[in-house]
Parts: sequence; structure tokens; C-alpha cells
Amino acid sequence: MADALLSNVTAELPIRTIDANLILYIIFIIVVAYVLTWLLSFILVHVSERIGWYRTSVTMIIPLLKLLVYLVALYYIIIAVIEPSLTQMIAFSGLFGAAIGFGLKDLFADIVGGIVIIFEKPYQIGDKVTIGDRYGEVKDIGIRATRIQTPADETVSVPNFTIFAQPVTSGNTGDLAMMIVIDLYIHPDSDAEKAMKILKEALVTSKYVIISKRYPYTVLLEDFPFYQRVRAKGYVNDLRLEFEFKSEVTRRAWAEFRKAGIRPPSFVPPAGQISGASEDPDAELL
Amino acid sequence: MADDQTAVSGNPVIGLEKELQQITEAIGRFGSGVPEHIAIVAEPLGGRTTLVSEIRRRHGEKVHYLPLEFVISPSHLPDFSSIPEEIILIDNCRFLATRMIGGFDVLDAFLHAQISSKKLFITTWNAFSWQYLSAVMNIDAYFPTIITIGRMDTPVLKQVILSRHRPGEIRFLDEGAAERSMFYSLIHKKVHLPLMANEIFIPWIKLNFTVMLRRLPRKKRIQVSIEDVIFEKINRIARGNPGVAILLWESSLKEHTISLAAITETPYTIDLDTNESFILTIILSMKSLHEKDLAAIAGSEMNIRRVLYRLVQQGLVRDEAGYYSVPPFALGPVIEYLKKTRRLW
Repeated sequence: MADALLSNVTAELPIRTIDANLILYIIFIIVVAYVLTWLLSFILVHVSERIGWYRTSVTMIIPLLKLLVYLVALYYIIIAVIEPSLTQMIAFSGLFGAAIGFGLKDLFADIVGGIVIIFEKPYQIGDKVTIGDRYGEVKDIGIRATRIQTPADETVSVPNFTIFAQPVTSGNTGDLAMMIVIDLYIHPDSDAEKAMKILKEALVTSKYVIISKRYPYTVLLEDFPFYQRVRAKGYVNDLRLEFEFKSEVTRRAWAEFRKAGIRPPSFVPPAGQISGASEDPDAELL
Repeated sequence: MADDQTAVSGNPVIGLEKELQQITEAIGRFGSGVPEHIAIVAEPLGGRTTLVSEIRRRHGEKVHYLPLEFVISPSHLPDFSSIPEEIILIDNCRFLATRMIGGFDVLDAFLHAQISSKKLFITTWNAFSWQYLSAVMNIDAYFPTIITIGRMDTPVLKQVILSRHRPGEIRFLDEGAAERSMFYSLIHKKVHLPLMANEIFIPWIKLNFTVMLRRLPRKKRIQVSIEDVIFEKINRIARGNPGVAILLWESSLKEHTISLAAITETPYTIDLDTNESFILTIILSMKSLHEKDLAAIAGSEMNIRRVLYRLVQQGLVRDEAGYYSVPPFALGPVIEYLKKTRRLW
């Protein structure tokens, strides 16, 4: 019975004659869609770079526009090949589903991941994210993959499906400012209060910092067996400058530490030799 | 505002009446045992000097005037308890702090002296320096009365400028250019938002109905005076800053005659790197700063000579015997650029 139904449906499917004109038309649509998405990305990224404060607000609409262009292109291709009725569309979807199930599973999982990223916004273009073990700035959210630029200037293509399988961390969630944590380790005999004052002033006078009620800062002290940790938390005004910010504050703070007689910790035994210290992940940093 | 303002009209604080009223009320409350310290906050050339002069004129014998001229060290901070007057008016308080490690010690000492004293402190601040110190040190908590001088709207500015001349002294030359778009003018509304302690100024579009009506059929037309068109243009270029507007007026005025074409806007194309933006922010916040102070703020990593050369070369900063400041006509573009790039918060 199913065979009879399918044969009825396919018999009525008004598939056009595949000729050179139709193929050229389809290629033309694909090329136009590709050029259009590229052009939109180029213009909007260019505009966003000039707009300053609202950079990420502009880039966030790029993936949505891309999806829209590709959906329109797909629609035009389908109606160029067939003129489907509702029954035919259902039958076509069934065949399409089978094709996905067999060979194109991963590709379509990525496309669905792309759509989820567009609407749910776990990250946006311009964000600093960690996906799996990769960290970097999101440069592009494509239909299949997200491109990330790492601090070492490598471009990593992460399949969009990854968001279903692995946690995604966004450092700024669409904002241009991002919180940075700066840790300095000092000798336990050093004047910790003075060290906190110096680090606070190094942070608030940095040329990269932004401070307001929305972007507060704080300086904290924590005691460990062989050193003290002075931690500053503050926002960098442009996330692209996170490493410069960290480096500048650290350098200036240490220059003042030395003048004030604040010393770095002299010796830290390997983590395994200190009871209790092995639980502290920071001990391994030294 | 310009220091040499001579008001022919007899009212030396046109447009600042409300602010002066608030200050007078705060001075009136002083003595009740509750601290009444006042902070007057304004952009460069924003009208602070006018207010200060008027306070000194009205309360002369009670006021000890202390203008700060340069960045001071903790040892140079005067002993306020030895001053006999009840009111201490400290002008240019931006010089109490510098944006460097250890640069807040003088301000800390000053604020400590202020809250320990029984006297009334009236202090004046650069708006950008105040914003920075407010974010970093929560300085507004020390001042129960904060007077923020906002941007000036065209009708008030017209009064301010015309009060400097005798009635009928100025000739406004109509070159037929008044036809141009005057459908709206940009004003700055003072708004008090809920959950926010301070009032803020928001740009607001005011529709100019008289000009709209002018486009009506001939019989119904209403004449728009060339004066209004000229003052609108001056205020648009000055971005509501009265000091800049007065300077623009003076530079455009030729033998008591002014025309629309004589008022020209200096174009600026600003493209700066992080170091240049940072130093420009410092100069703007301090109004005028010596090269050695800038070098101390810049630190060893930055080539301050190169940065200053680039800023001077772009016309954003001028060098006057080693002191660097932002020229009046560059103030508007510089502030807009630094806000856009998040240097001013």
C-alpha cells in the first residue's frame, strides 16, 4: 500500500526537465546567495568596527541574515525544480529525512546547531569563548561551523553541533567589556595591605580599564602556605585587549612592589609534598 | 565660560540661576551641624568660572579662595584648620589626583581633612575628572550637594552672548541662507531617573514649529529671525558648551556684524591608538597639564614625546610652553570620539 501511495505521489510530482538552463539557474542562485552573505558580513563587520561601543550589537544580526538568505535561496531552488503540493512536500520531507539519516547526519546536526546558536545566543560574533578546549574570539558563525580566532592568531573551525555535546563559556556575552582576573603572588612576609593598595591603583589607572557601577572592580587577598595571592578583578574596555591589560597591570604593579620592598615568594615545594596543597589548583601554577 | 565676561544686562549668571540658587541654599543651611560640602562639576569652558566669580562676589568676606594651578604633592596641601574664613572655595580640584599609582594620596588626604573639618568646602571639578574619580573612589559620597552644569540650550545661549553687547549693537547679516533646515533643534533636557541619585542630561529633539509654518503658503508664513538661525548654528557647533560658543561668536564677529557664512566649523578626523587616546583623555580631564606630569602618568613603557607629537599634529592638543590642553574648538569632537571608544565612561 505504501508503495502504491509513493508511486502515486511521485507520478504526480511535476519535476521539470533537468537541462543546462536549470543547472545554470541553480548555480546562479547559490552564487548569489554566497556573495550576498559574504557582502552582508563584510559590510556589517566593517560598520561594527567603526561603531565603537555597540560593536557586538551589530555583529549579532549577521548569522540571522545569513540563515535568511540561505533559506530564501533554498526555496527558490526547490520551486525551480518542482512545484510541490502539500502531499508532495510531506513525501519529499520523508525522503529528505531518510537522506539525512543515512549520509548527511553530521552536516544537518551542524546546521541545526547553527540555528540554535542564532536563536539561543550562547555566544555571538565578537565574544571571547571557550568551546571544548579551544579559547578565542568568535569571528564568524556560519551555517555549519563557528570560526574562532585563538590568541595565537590561529583560526579554528568548531562544528556547530559541538554546543550540544560540550559546555560553552562566553567571557562577555555580547558585551565589549570583559572581566579579567589578575593574580600576583607575594612572599608571606611582605606588606600585604600595601600590595593590595598598589595593585588596586595599578588596576584603576590602567589605560585599558573601564569602571562604573556596571563594571565594578575589586582587589582580594588570600593566604596560602608559602605565599599570599593578591587578586584583582576588573573589566577591560575592549576584550581584544585582554592580554595587554593583564600584562600592563602586572608589570606596573610589580615595578611598584619592588620599590615598596614587596618580594615574590622565594620557594614553593612541589604540590605533592605539601599536605592539603595538592587540592589547590593554583599551587600548580607556580 | 570666558573669564572676562562682562554682562551689560546686569545678570552675570544667565542660564546658571538654578545652580546658583542651589549653592546659595546649601550655604544657607551651613551651620546647622550637618556637613554641606558642595561640588561644582562642569565640562571645560562649561561655566564653572562664572559661578565661582559670583559666589566670591556674593560671599566675599566669608570665602577663602584657593585656586589650584598644577598637580600638587601631599606636602603642599594647606592646613585648612588655620584658615580663618568659614567657607573654603577650592577651584580646579582635578589637580588633587593624577591617574597613576600613588596618584590618589593627595585626594585621600584632602577628603580626610574635609570630613574632619567644621568648615564648608566648595570645590570645583572638571566633569571628566569627576566621572573618573566617582567611578574609582566613589567621591560623590563626600559631597551632599553636587551641582552639575549641563549643556546650554540656544535661547539661553543667545541671552548670554547678547548680554555682552549693547542692544542693537550687533548687525545680523541675512544672506538668504536662513531658509535652510531649522525644523528641529537639539536641546539637552535634565532628567531625574528613578533609582539614580543624580540628574542626567539627555539630548532631545525640539521641533521648530515656527519654521515649519514658514513652509506654509505665503499668506500664512511666519518670519524666522536670522538671529535665531545664527545662534542655532553656533550652539550646534559648540555642542551646548557656552565657553566654546562665546569663542566661536567672537571669532565670527567682524566689526559688530555677523553672518551665517562667517561661522565655520573646524573638521576633525580622529584616528588614535590606545596610548594616544589614553593621553588625550588625561589632558581633557585635567584641562591643562605639563609634559613632566604627563610623562609620569604615561610611565616608562610609553613614548610620550611621540604620543604628544601625534596629538599636536592632528590638532587635538596644543602646546603652550610645555603645558598641553585641548583647543576649545576640538573639545566637542574629542569628547564624542573618546565616549565612542569608551575612554570616557
